Amino acid sequence: MRVSLRYPHRDPVLRLEGLELVEGRRTVVFGPNGAGKTTLLRLLAGTLPGGPGWDAAYLPQTTHLFRGTIGWNLGLGLDTERAVLAARLAARLGMGERMSEPVSRLSGGERQRVALARTLADPRPWVLLDEPLTHIDAEDRSEVAGVIAAGVGDRGAVIVTHDLETAAASGSHMAVLLEGRLRQQGALGKVVSAPDDPQVASVVGVSNLWEGVGLFRSGAFACLEVGGLRVWGVGAIGKGVAGRALFRGEAVAVLRTDGSAGSVRNRWAGTIAEIRRGGRWVELRVDVGAAVVTAVITPGAMDEMGLSVGARVMAAVKASSVRLLAAG
Amino acid sequence: MEFLWEVLVEAFRTLTAPGPRLGLVVALTLMVSALSTLIGTVLGIPVGVALALGRFRGRRALGLVVSVGMGFPPVLAGLLLLLVFWRSGPLGGLGLIFTPTAMVIAQVALAAPIAAGVTAGAVRGLGAACREQLAALGLGRIGRGVVAIREARAGVAAAVAACFGRVVAEVGAVLVVGGNIVGETRVLTTLIVEESRQARFGAAVAAGVVLLVISLVVNVAVDRLGRERT
Repeated sequence: MRVSLRYPHRDPVLRLEGLELVEGRRTVVFGPNGAGKTTLLRLLAGTLPGGPGWDAAYLPQTTHLFRGTIGWNLGLGLDTERAVLAARLAARLGMGERMSEPVSRLSGGERQRVALARTLADPRPWVLLDEPLTHIDAEDRSEVAGVIAAGVGDRGAVIVTHDLETAAASGSHMAVLLEGRLRQQGALGKVVSAPDDPQVASVVGVSNLWEGVGLFRSGAFACLEVGGLRVWGVGAIGKGVAGRALFRGEAVAVLRTDGSAGSVRNRWAGTIAEIRRGGRWVELRVDVGAAVVTAVITPGAMDEMGLSVGARVMAAVKASSVRLLAAG
Repeated sequence: MEFLWEVLVEAFRTLTAPGPRLGLVVALTLMVSALSTLIGTVLGIPVGVALALGRFRGRRALGLVVSVGMGFPPVLAGLLLLLVFWRSGPLGGLGLIFTPTAMVIAQVALAAPIAAGVTAGAVRGLGAACREQLAALGLGRIGRGVVAIREARAGVAAAVAACFGRVVAEVGAVLVVGGNIVGETRVLTTLIVEESRQARFGAAVAAGVVLLVISLVVNVAVDRLGRERT
């Protein structure tokens, strides 16, 4: 469905036209602080009057648990069956066997896990999550995002975040909000790799987001296969598991020849498909067969190398610059 | 100094060997106060929660009624009820004038706004994050109210204590609608009024001490109830 709203009605701070929120799809609403993301979510949830006020399970930005035990909080407002589901989700988030503990002793991350489990178990047809991973440690985010995907199931979800990795791990589509206006929306990989204008690019960055399947793991690193290409990166993606590789365009080096790239693990040969000149940088799209690598380089480097569309180049990125995420 | 000493000795004598009359007065005081606190809080606490959490027409007007009610002059409340219950008044047929029932009704009218006002303040004080989460839970109005009361337990306990404090210490309304009849509608406060008027200061001070002890015991008990258990 297309959502259009203005808030407040007079002299609106938030004015959205045609925001696409589709049932059965997890849409990430992305933007910097003050973009109007939380206001949008509150209007959708109906805790702020003047919006559509959907029938939705909603996790507010600031986690609040009520005085009592973890188990009591998990079951709040849910029937027995759903309370059991909430407990199961909490267990997947590492909060199992702690049901009778009072919530007053929990840390911020633990509170967020409990609140998240309860919200996901809420059976209402939409799920609205405001910054669900802020208090979760970076190394656990991919896993928690997997629990979110499982908990949302085939319902529609709107996930608000200002963190690209959370966005990449949580959704399939993305809408970018800037100063209360919708600036761009579409498939996540498309939006992050091709921002519509410099302002969006300055907020979202220019990144590559590829979908693939885990090949093998080695310590903190893993290898993902993307249509015949191999991508090494940081993250725990097991063999045969669907995953995503996220790396910034700035992290990609473009090399003229097939020569040695030193310690760089990811090297793909291809041809330049597109050159976009921005003010301070140049975006290159290198067709490497199964995928397109977006690289951001300086105009100086561009001129020095004399690159043009159709030129054969090598795109290289260090494995430590690539984040591998489990795709929910 | 000698005068005060004599008063204290007399008060002590009354307390160590209380007559059956004082016992009756204490019993009636406790009964009227407990009953009016119970009814007043049962009526007032939900109104307070609704004021703090609800969005309904007339909320401001209701808030104003509660504010005025919290500071309403008791003797005026007594007078208004006296007119209503007077033998030839609108509800004179009920025969409630100068009965403990009329006293309870007057006390409830004074206590309920206090219960509502203090509860509303406590629930409002829960903080934005708590109220946002409360609204997000998808509970009905009553469920939300129950969770809010549970969360603001200490503040709601203070509302109960404030109600009891008001009714047990109140003189004007019970004097006017109760009539201060010995053995029927005399409570500790009106006993103090009567004994002071008759210059029996020892008995008046003794009644005052009992009143303070009741107040203290009830406040400690309510505070315990509201204390965090988790």
